[in-house]
Amino acid sequence: MAPSQPAHVNLSPAELSFLRSSLSQTPPIRLDNTKGPRDFRSMIAEYDVLPSTNGSARIALEDGTEALVGVKAEVEKSQWRPNVEGRHTLSVAVGVDVDMADDDGQEGEENKGKGQNGWIEISVEIPGFREDDALPVFLASMLTESLLASGELKDRLYINQRFHWKLGIDVLLLSPPLSYPLALLSMTTHLALLTAHLPALKSEKDEDPLFDDDWDAAVPLYPKHDAQGGTNVDKPPIIVLAIAVGSNIIFDPCKEELAVADAVLAVGCAPSNASSTGARIVSIRTIDPPAHLTPPAVPNSMNSATGGVAPASTADALTQRELLSATGVWTPPRGGMKRSLISQVTSMVVGKGGVAEEVIAALQAIEVG
Amino acid sequence: MPITIRAPNLPTPHDALARAASPSDSEMSDDDLPSGTSGTSIVTPGETITSDPQWMRGHGTYIPPSTTTIVSTVAGHLHKTNKLLSVQALRARYTPEIGDLVVGRIVSVGTKKWSVDIAAPMLASLPLSAINLPGGILRRRTAVDELNIRTFFSEGDLLVAEVQSLHQDNTASLHTRSLKYGKLRNGMFTSLSGAGGGVLSRRGGVVRSKRQTFTLNTAAGEIDVVLGVNGYIFISAHATSPSNAAATAEDKDISITRLDEAVSETLYSSQNDEITPGVLREITRVSTLIKGLAAAGRRVDEDVIVRVYEGAVELEAEEKSLGITDKGVGAVGVVQAVLERLELGG
Repeated sequence: MAPSQPAHVNLSPAELSFLRSSLSQTPPIRLDNTKGPRDFRSMIAEYDVLPSTNGSARIALEDGTEALVGVKAEVEKSQWRPNVEGRHTLSVAVGVDVDMADDDGQEGEENKGKGQNGWIEISVEIPGFREDDALPVFLASMLTESLLASGELKDRLYINQRFHWKLGIDVLLLSPPLSYPLALLSMTTHLALLTAHLPALKSEKDEDPLFDDDWDAAVPLYPKHDAQGGTNVDKPPIIVLAIAVGSNIIFDPCKEELAVADAVLAVGCAPSNASSTGARIVSIRTIDPPAHLTPPAVPNSMNSATGGVAPASTADALTQRELLSATGVWTPPRGGMKRSLISQVTSMVVGKGGVAEEVIAALQAIEVG
Repeated sequence: MPITIRAPNLPTPHDALARAASPSDSEMSDDDLPSGTSGTSIVTPGETITSDPQWMRGHGTYIPPSTTTIVSTVAGHLHKTNKLLSVQALRARYTPEIGDLVVGRIVSVGTKKWSVDIAAPMLASLPLSAINLPGGILRRRTAVDELNIRTFFSEGDLLVAEVQSLHQDNTASLHTRSLKYGKLRNGMFTSLSGAGGGVLSRRGGVVRSKRQTFTLNTAAGEIDVVLGVNGYIFISAHATSPSNAAATAEDKDISITRLDEAVSETLYSSQNDEITPGVLREITRVSTLIKGLAAAGRRVDEDVIVRVYEGAVELEAEEKSLGITDKGVGAVGVVQAVLERLELGG
């Protein structure tokens, strides 16, 4: 289970109880009452904000959380790998030009399976955290994991046997992490990758790479059309955060909503390439709900300041708490997540007309419009 | 549509900008002030305002040694009063003043006092001797009280208090020795940042006014709103516990001798009463509207909240009758729609 944010919940038990009771109504009453359970907080997004990057994006939420992502690509010398290169050396030695024929036959497939995970590097920087703190490390690995899952991006970084693109993605949270910033960072990364361009390659095959210096001729990192001209292409993944409160499922929780969640789930999805509807899951993680660490409220019957009697021993206190019937007393949620709940969340995310599809479409619309 | 993404836009010009370019200094339009006539009069820290020695420096400005240049020390709007230049910060922390009603959150518990976050540069302190004891008993605080300090307030608890005194380093000392003050429950906390608690409204937020606490009548029931001068706001269901009802019935003759009966049993309770879903909804609605008001750069006081709340309820009823289910416009969207209607109507 991934670590929750170290900045622990600092809400009073009465507040927690209030939030919990409003979120467990049907339909849930969210903190921003103009939003429904599936609604994301409104945000401001722009791309191409950093001049010297291959692609960049900035997204700001209404509560002031703001993320900036820059994508930089560099040409790097590939390390000689016997398992891939061996076949070529052998064929040259024998003098039979086998691989040339292969390449001519399938132009699009020439770099399939040649990408390496190490060619993509994500660093996450969050103010107030060291770079080896649990939160930034987990966020970076979660983003990397979903990005590498499809395998298509790293193959696109292959130039030739000796050279490849090295993609550095710098994710910067400009504000303190008010709510769990994973969804925001992933959306910003998505937008930056979607709008990233690489210089067009002029050299051929295994020549030293030479690029077109005209930026207008640059090719997008994520092509708009596939080889057949269709629009069914690979897109960067996106991570959606969902919480469960009672039987309600709420997406994109704010800090206070996150604080009373029974369970938190981060679902990484990419648009499905098989059909044009829905999305597919590329990664899924549970996040430790911060509510587990909150102390329970002292009920009136156990509070000497409100006319109650303070329990004599801890065992006594535990028994009294278990037998408590009063509502309005904050008790931290116990236990994990039910299987049916996980399947319900995932189907809401990836189903036809699901949350993931709408988020990806909305981010795509920024680039187009 | 669960997601709304907008393109960034420049902030709309505000009254403060108009004030900066007031006609009183039009006769000095030949000076070299960068913001004399231009609409955007925001200066940033370190920015040179003028190098003309005819100007005097005011708040938020600084003259580096052996120069006559006036530079800004804060980010904010430039104000000119005759020959005095001052910069009013866009966002500022609350500066406590004696008598202010503030909402605070306990940060730490000491042996004889609590440290309270009131959005000021430094934590305020609430001594054990400055609270009402349960039952309203008037006596010296004993060692037993010190041991039981967490039964009154513990970390994270919200309270409403008054600033009793200020120390030399501008830290505030609070007190809750009134029936109006004490622990907060049955509701929701909202914080607005940046108002600074000044008398002049900067860019929205709470300002000192005649009434900081008021009761709002809604269709579902009564709602109490506490507007802390420090920008912390608490919205809760109106307390109607039997002991309180008795207290209001005998409102006339609450004296120091009858304090013990008037102080309710639940003064230091951290347990919520039963709240109906209707009231829950209205509380979140008021909180959303207040956030929207602050985001729209409006001042937040009783009059505005009541008007905007009534407008928002009316707007929702109309939209419902017309069959518009336009969810997800956000807090600012609703507030702006309501304010537009209010301005058109009167």
